[in-house]
Amino acid sequence: MGDTRQRPLGRAWLVASRLGVYLVVLGLLVAGAFSSRGFLSYGNLLSIVDGVMLLGIVVTGMAFVTYSGHYADLSVPTTMAFAGVVAVEFLRFGFGAAMAGGLCVGLTVGLVNGVVVGGLRANPIVWTLAVSYVTKGLMRWLWLNRQIYPDVKSGATGAGEWFVQLYRQEVLGKITLPMVVLVAMAMAAQFVLRWTTFGRQLRLVGANPEAARLSGVPTGRTVGLAFVLSALAAAVAGVFITSLSKVGAYYNGEGYDFDAVTAIVIGGMTLTGGRGDIVGALGGVLVIGLMGNLMTLVGIDTFSQRIIKGLVFIAAVGIGTGVLRRLGREDA
Amino acid sequence: MAEIGQPSTIGLALEMRSIRKAYPGTVAVDGVDFSVSAGEVHALVGENGAGKSTLMKILAGALPDYEGEVRISGQVVRLSSPAVARRHGIGMIYQELSLAGPVSVAENLLAGQLPVRWGLVLDGRRRDALAREALARVGLALDPGRAVEDLSQHEAQLVEIAKVLRRRPCILVLDEPTSALSREEVDRLFAMVRRLRQGGLAIVYISHHLAEVFRIADRVTVLRDGRRMATSPIGELTPETLIERMVGRAADRLYASQARPVVGGERLRVTRLTRPGFFHDVSFTARTGEVLGVGGLSGAGRTELARSLAGLDPIGSGQIELDGRPFRPRSLARSIRHGVAYLTEDRKRLGLALRLSTGENIVSAIIGRLARGGLLSPGAGAGMVEDLVAALQIHPADATTPVRSLSGGNQQKALLAKWLATDPKVLILDEPTRGVDVGAKRVIHDAIERLAAGGTTVLLISSDLPELLGLSDRILVLRRGRVARELSRPEFSEEAVLLAAGGGGAHG
Repeated sequence: MGDTRQRPLGRAWLVASRLGVYLVVLGLLVAGAFSSRGFLSYGNLLSIVDGVMLLGIVVTGMAFVTYSGHYADLSVPTTMAFAGVVAVEFLRFGFGAAMAGGLCVGLTVGLVNGVVVGGLRANPIVWTLAVSYVTKGLMRWLWLNRQIYPDVKSGATGAGEWFVQLYRQEVLGKITLPMVVLVAMAMAAQFVLRWTTFGRQLRLVGANPEAARLSGVPTGRTVGLAFVLSALAAAVAGVFITSLSKVGAYYNGEGYDFDAVTAIVIGGMTLTGGRGDIVGALGGVLVIGLMGNLMTLVGIDTFSQRIIKGLVFIAAVGIGTGVLRRLGREDA
Repeated sequence: MAEIGQPSTIGLALEMRSIRKAYPGTVAVDGVDFSVSAGEVHALVGENGAGKSTLMKILAGALPDYEGEVRISGQVVRLSSPAVARRHGIGMIYQELSLAGPVSVAENLLAGQLPVRWGLVLDGRRRDALAREALARVGLALDPGRAVEDLSQHEAQLVEIAKVLRRRPCILVLDEPTSALSREEVDRLFAMVRRLRQGGLAIVYISHHLAEVFRIADRVTVLRDGRRMATSPIGELTPETLIERMVGRAADRLYASQARPVVGGERLRVTRLTRPGFFHDVSFTARTGEVLGVGGLSGAGRTELARSLAGLDPIGSGQIELDGRPFRPRSLARSIRHGVAYLTEDRKRLGLALRLSTGENIVSAIIGRLARGGLLSPGAGAGMVEDLVAALQIHPADATTPVRSLSGGNQQKALLAKWLATDPKVLILDEPTRGVDVGAKRVIHDAIERLAAGGTTVLLISSDLPELLGLSDRILVLRRGRVARELSRPEFSEEAVLLAAGGGGAHG
């Protein structure tokens, strides 16, 4: 029992697990280069990033929840949709109001999740699943199951055009606004995780909530804040996705919950919390993007892609836990 | 089992010969002989760490790699797993009951062997009849349909015993069965134990309450440091002679114990502190630079008192004064800010985040203090960590090592370092050297002495009597949630602590 610690293979795996996801990224790039000529072109690479940048934005938030040992925030897809719909609805008051409205949705959902899961210690999966259900119903009821359109809602103010342009706005060459936002948010998130009281206490809560409590950490508030950050990031992604699709609808953002958890786990954050970081999680996002692109290039249809994605998730969780257990680093 | 009742050696239900069990670094049980006859209650006593629980784990089949020979009803058996032990008729009743709370008494009793009709349908009537029959054996007449969680502690314990008895064991082990019972319930339990004895069961009775041992046991075996010190009929012993055998070389002082001059004034004053059901009317004072020992049996309310002082659990009534000012410990974070620190007895579950590094654990209680405006660098506090690692000789000295891979002793040092980092005025230590090796123990003891010399008030909760006597300036002995006695240095002896804790007098 006692001597699992210095097993060289395990040590190597731990190092690999830190860099690992970028080794996988590299492997996929090589594989792509062999399978298709145009794969490594600037255009294709950019389109890969383009395809997963909203996922990246979601991940920079949800990673805090996983890191805290609370697995995942399943209310992310509906928070995205809700933020988008409210933003479109608020376009009539101007572009600024629309942005503020969208973010307020994120803040509200996050606070509710934070209070209930952090403060009242509800099961995070069950609670956020229920929230997503309620939110979706609320949207369909409030907007009478209709989609809403930015240009119609904004009237003659021109805010609608701005809104639609949001996702497509090029900032530097072909680098678009969402990419810039993603990089900024990722840097901020990594900083928060590593360099703030909150980040350090979150790590302690994720690693052992009881020990954290017995170290004087306000565990409820800490976990609550993780959920607020998750919902805020989802709201940002939601505004962008609505801008992309040019329509506010309850189904925007569907599937982002599972993709985000998959990326986070592939990126080296275990579901038990307290491990990994944002840089790794974004590596997971890249893996998902590359995998999708590659599979499409090879000619695998979307439904089969879903199956493969699911299997990859299972493998990532399984391998992670298996190795950690073998190493004696997992509790239980 | 059918031939029980024949001449003496065959009458031995259990015979353990030259049992030895070594762990890396220590020998937990060393050449112990132990036997129980059918129709006998044999008490097993000894201080913490004497080897009682190791011996019983071997009997339960939980430690298959023991050396020595075990005979059950005269037959040599190898207790290679709990299932094998059960099959040989060994029934264990632990302090922690193994019942499922929300499930009915009947289903708990018949777990895994519920009667069915037509190979399919539950036979409710037969289930209840079987359950009633099992309950009758322990003198309990309650509705088998009730959920276990609605029973009193005493009833639940009887249900557990009934469950074990259903397997028709020939040997029954009761491990501290009275720790949660009232006096009347103890009487009823004993009446049942006597009935079972009459029925020919061999019973092993483990208890720290020596008064109980004198009431129920036929013979007593004393273990100390993994060896058997004595086995004698109860009639040949008095509480004093028994304690003497448990303690052994009473004069043997591990500790330099040059009485430190207690320099400072009063730091902590606790007046009639009560948390109903846990501790009552506890009053004491402690001065700066003083080590106040807190003795007592497990369940006497020591940990509960510590947790309430630290702000982890509520307080019913009473006052606390810290440096002359009223102090209300509302949360641990607040207590830490006021200079009160609490080192938990459960280092793995409550004390350390095992996945994180030594360094991260050491600073975990002062993250807020290290930060400036909510920001701190990943390496913040590294200097302090380095100093503490060196001062406590934590090995490996590399503070980035995951704490999980440290030995128990070094983990405990890391836990102590975590609380030293908070620079406490009052440090409450709950079993600070439980389960650690001698080397680590010395380091921790030295640290406690240095800390006291530096003016910190230390509340030392310990079941390790030499440690308690060696380090304390005064000792407060708790018994069933109340202060039973306060001992000053001239009155110190293991006997005095044990007697006050519940060893002597009436049933404590």
